[in-house]
Amino acid sequence: MAKTRLSRRAFLRSTAAGAAVLGFPLPLRAQPKTFKIGAIHPVTGPLAEPGQACRLGAQMAADAINAAGGIKSKGGLKLELLLGDTQTKPENGRVEAERAVGQGAQMLLGSFDSGSTNSMVSVAQQKRVPLLVDIAAADPITANVAKSVKEGQQKVQYVYRNFPTGSSFGRNAVQYFTEIFKEASVSPKRVVLMHANDLFGTNQMRGFKAAWEAAKPSWEIVEIIPWPEPPSDLSTEVSRAKALKPDVLAPITRPASAQLLLPEIRKQRVELMGIVGPGSPGLYEAGQFAVLKEDLEYVMTSVPWPSFKNPRTLAVAEEYAKRTERETGRRRTFDTNSGYSYDAMFLIADILERAATLGDPDAIVEAMRKTRFAGGLMQYGGPILFNEIGDNPNAIATMIQILGQKPVAVWPKAAALQKFVFPRPKA
Amino acid sequence: MLLLQGALSGVLFGGVYSLMAVGLTLIFGVMRVVNFAHGDMMVWGMYLAFLLATGAGVDPYLAFVVCAAALFVLGFAVQRALVDRILAAPHEMQILLMLGVALVLENLALVAFGPEPTRVRSPLSEATIWLGPVFVDVARLVAFGVASALTLALYLFLFRTDLGRTMRAAADNTYGALVIGTDVRRVYAVAFGVGAACVGAAGALVAPILPFQPPTGLSLSVTSFNIVIIGGMGSLLGAFVGGLLVSVAESLGAVFLKPSLKELFSFSLLILILLVRPAGLFGRRAS
Repeated sequence: MAKTRLSRRAFLRSTAAGAAVLGFPLPLRAQPKTFKIGAIHPVTGPLAEPGQACRLGAQMAADAINAAGGIKSKGGLKLELLLGDTQTKPENGRVEAERAVGQGAQMLLGSFDSGSTNSMVSVAQQKRVPLLVDIAAADPITANVAKSVKEGQQKVQYVYRNFPTGSSFGRNAVQYFTEIFKEASVSPKRVVLMHANDLFGTNQMRGFKAAWEAAKPSWEIVEIIPWPEPPSDLSTEVSRAKALKPDVLAPITRPASAQLLLPEIRKQRVELMGIVGPGSPGLYEAGQFAVLKEDLEYVMTSVPWPSFKNPRTLAVAEEYAKRTERETGRRRTFDTNSGYSYDAMFLIADILERAATLGDPDAIVEAMRKTRFAGGLMQYGGPILFNEIGDNPNAIATMIQILGQKPVAVWPKAAALQKFVFPRPKA
Repeated sequence: MLLLQGALSGVLFGGVYSLMAVGLTLIFGVMRVVNFAHGDMMVWGMYLAFLLATGAGVDPYLAFVVCAAALFVLGFAVQRALVDRILAAPHEMQILLMLGVALVLENLALVAFGPEPTRVRSPLSEATIWLGPVFVDVARLVAFGVASALTLALYLFLFRTDLGRTMRAAADNTYGALVIGTDVRRVYAVAFGVGAACVGAAGALVAPILPFQPPTGLSLSVTSFNIVIIGGMGSLLGAFVGGLLVSVAESLGAVFLKPSLKELFSFSLLILILLVRPAGLFGRRAS
């Protein structure tokens, strides 16, 4: 009996081992080899709309790259996105990045909001997985890593960003404000800055304030009014702003706060030359037009914007609009979020083409640092490259204005598709 | 002037806060169950108002009746199907169940309506009345009026009708109510339904004022808990006064402090009340 039992066990053992050896590797071998990228964005939670735009932009770009033959210098290697969702919670940036790396991600992409992007940084640095920040403006995301590498605490910087930083947003905005006021031959004196008090909003406010202090323009920031994000009521904040008799209101919003702020400005009859934002979401997205309608008319904001003078941008924007209509029932604008994530994927493809090997993360980083990429669809001040901090100094903003219920590039002149309207017509 | 404007805005918005807190306190008062899905139920009230406004052109200030009725059915069903089974279970089990319901409601809204924030447009919500330099937002004024009237109606229902009296009897002494032949299960389900109806109506009334999206429910739940604790758990009057207090505190907080710190005012109020009067302003001390 014992002999029979033993031989049956031996039989089962050898069968299982045989199945493992013969059967298991076959499907693995049958799968085409891919380069996995953890694409992490807030696709649920309060920032789901821009997060979903980022994801779709990245997915469309990956599809286009794969359809065109993949990474040619690496034998037509295809890109595979491992999708992650931060649920708009900062700590989930780290959780999702770790999950993607655990599933074999060799690069990370993300993540729209500065809080969760910041939490992805530690995973990139600890696990030596290069992270390309497609969107997130807070300066410390790259600056802290660059500092610790410079001071010798870390050997290699794995975090790079192709997006304007809060401070460069500020410089762009102060410059555009001043140039537009001059071009319009008006001299507004009093600007009230209002902002969401999350990491992004506070960073944008600091960048704008610092740039204003450095530039010493003819106009003055008379007060800075922060609000808790998301707010339930902004009537008192607007009353405070109105009491200051501003010429211009400069809001740094999120989609929900923009929906509270703009109607409140109208209801309280705040007399203004214009609403000119230093750069934030909430003032140009398709969903916002459906709700805010005429309250958005003539609003200006300084945001990274697609270069619609580029025929390729127009083609991708049309494809994006069709795809969103098919998938969500509403045509959406190819804008800051979808555009920068789209560019990020092509940037990654360019980096992988040039990397000596893909097996070594340091070789990928080496290729990142030597980037000179001119194939982006967004409005840049030159080719995409990375400075000593790991930021692209040529990632700039464009002043857009809502004219006829559409966002239109109006400044600088080189990017402008239409002349701006400032001061706005009186109601 | 800014102070007067802030106080006025706070009082008017407080009416809606009161109505949503009244629903929560009713459910707790009768069943001793903390409804963690309260804010998400309110968001569904908002989305129903949105559907009625965009699909059938019904103004949210009329649609609140339909929203209240729909949420009554939802509340009744949730109580019968789920809450009723765990009434005797420890509190942490009840909390887990209600958090689960909240997650389901939030994600259903995400699937049905997408992630973008939205709000309902109504001619009333665009209007303002100017009294010299002070302005009155008509939307808030109407919401305050309707919310106050509904709270009063609920009070009359509980204290002047047989069903209301039965509800209070079941809350005070479940065993006694059973002994005299009360169908306590039905009373509980009706109480949950009425609580949900209050928050459904509050959702419709606030839909033209406050932008909403599926995750909005959590912050509304937290605000409701804050109000109910300040007013006294289970106290109708406490919830009403608490709603006004919290709203005015936040509004004046934005006048006196940096506006981003205004919630500090309302939550400091909560800590103060817990220190000085742990049962809340109008709550009864646990024996």
